[in-house]
Amino acid sequence: MKKKTKFKRRDLISWLVMLPSLILFTFYIWEPLLENVRLSLYSTIRYQTVNFVGLANYARVLKVPDFKAAFVNTFSYTFWSLVIGFFIPIIMAVLISETVHMKSFFRVGVYFPNIVPGLATIWIWNYFFTPGPTGVLNILLGKIGIEPFVWLNNTKWTIPLIVVTMTWKAAGSTALIYMASISGISADLYEAATIDGASIWQRIRHITLPSINGLARTLLIMQVISVFQILYEPMVLKNGGPNNASISLMMLVYRFAFRDSDFAGAAALSVMICIILIILSGVYMKVAKKKEEY
Amino acid sequence: MFFRKYFDKRDGAIRGYDMHSPKSRVLSIIIMLLCIVMVVTALFPVVWVFLASFKDIKDFTRNVTIVPQHFDLEGVKKTWGQLKFSKFYLNSMMLVAGSVVCAVIFNGLLAYGLAVLKPKGYKVIQALVMWSLLIPSTASIVALFRNINMLGFSKSFLPLWLSYGANAFWVILFKEFFEDIPRELVESARLDGCGTLQVFQKMILPLSKPIIMVVAIFAVTAAWSDFLLPYLVLNGSGKETVMVKLFSFKDTPTNAVSMLRAVMFSIIPPTILFILFQKQITDGAAAGAVKG
Repeated sequence: MKKKTKFKRRDLISWLVMLPSLILFTFYIWEPLLENVRLSLYSTIRYQTVNFVGLANYARVLKVPDFKAAFVNTFSYTFWSLVIGFFIPIIMAVLISETVHMKSFFRVGVYFPNIVPGLATIWIWNYFFTPGPTGVLNILLGKIGIEPFVWLNNTKWTIPLIVVTMTWKAAGSTALIYMASISGISADLYEAATIDGASIWQRIRHITLPSINGLARTLLIMQVISVFQILYEPMVLKNGGPNNASISLMMLVYRFAFRDSDFAGAAALSVMICIILIILSGVYMKVAKKKEEY
Repeated sequence: MFFRKYFDKRDGAIRGYDMHSPKSRVLSIIIMLLCIVMVVTALFPVVWVFLASFKDIKDFTRNVTIVPQHFDLEGVKKTWGQLKFSKFYLNSMMLVAGSVVCAVIFNGLLAYGLAVLKPKGYKVIQALVMWSLLIPSTASIVALFRNINMLGFSKSFLPLWLSYGANAFWVILFKEFFEDIPRELVESARLDGCGTLQVFQKMILPLSKPIIMVVAIFAVTAAWSDFLLPYLVLNGSGKETVMVKLFSFKDTPTNAVSMLRAVMFSIIPPTILFILFQKQITDGAAAGAVKG
């Protein structure tokens, strides 16, 4: 009997130790999430909720003129980030894993862009993409005799180029994760394959790549979740332009909340983004699971 | 000599014995060249910023060269003064200092609860923390900003500092580390009469210096780079950080060279930190993410 009460006291103390952190998690992550859903169902004036309006905010947000462009663009960002941003870190990781000279320099070097503040990155690329002869990329192209481009001002290129800047920043850190996984592959596997006559490429294709498959799936879904919420890059570089070519859903959320003080509209759109992401992850996990069964 | 080293290679598809074939030798040289191209691509934009911000305005707008004709150190100093960067640096350091303390203490204590103490019902919290990793973070900023304002916390560092105490990724980093600490050590400290917090302070913390370093460094770079919440909370309060200043260039046209210099000023501290702690940073980034 005595033992049991003592055990309970210990539990209580343990919970007390965790309590401050739990309050912070509640305040910063869990409560805002629920609060968002509640806000989206009310009409608001500044910070105050006024009336329960059901799904009216959702209908209103869908009718905003920029919504369609933002919706299509957000998927376009996701698509391009998969085309460009998903494979590059894998290639980088495989290549660096196969070097012996200056290996740690390569690791550190490719990771470096990740510690450059995001906002600084955006401004740097702004100088690189400057149209006309003073843009850094145009200077470089001029040296090999290529005419200057207009870069971000060409609406067809705006989104892919923004994705390039994001990839420049993030690829190195993702590559390090793959490299950690690659270095864990047993040397016996490669040796056995060599004895069977597998070439270097065949070893990479049939041993290295399959063993990072699971990790790649996880990173893919994390990447989709993060790119889907793209906000800063288009906002700072082109403020959604030219001609709405780079506007994203999160940019609309930002405009609703912090330009128009329409918190209900912003909340409704955030909830929609969450729902889309949940559906995407759900579908993806189902497909991935089915593939595994075969 | 060059190929000899491949015989010490312990991982990857290319092995030492491949070096007997000339084709593999060529391949390994090509791979190395590609890696050099990658590193140059990664480093060039930042190197360019450092070089170009020493150009004067005429040199910057007229001459299409990468390297400045002469280094305009006076001009850089002048820009620092004009933009009042000392103030922004100081504010950023205030933000960083408080954030690091909160990041280590609060995430560390929660991880201690989940990994070592494991009180009844801890699994619920563990699941919630894991789920928080997947929750779109920016999606809740609207409600969060509203809460901060309704509580009257705006225009102060406090809500920003405390926000670093709730990071699911860092909790998991700590948790993985604490779980590897032998249970017997904790039990023996308990038998010696140490209380719950004393075990943390005397047993766990001294053993956890490496992971504390990793989280602290991550927190420094994150807090230094953070700008959306700092902008929303601090703008117009006189406590603007370096990033808030950089963000404000969006709406206030500034001459290209001053802005470039501001960008350079904002990169210097994280670069120094990275050079000092490159090993901890790259190891931490790789290890934490695989487990998380």
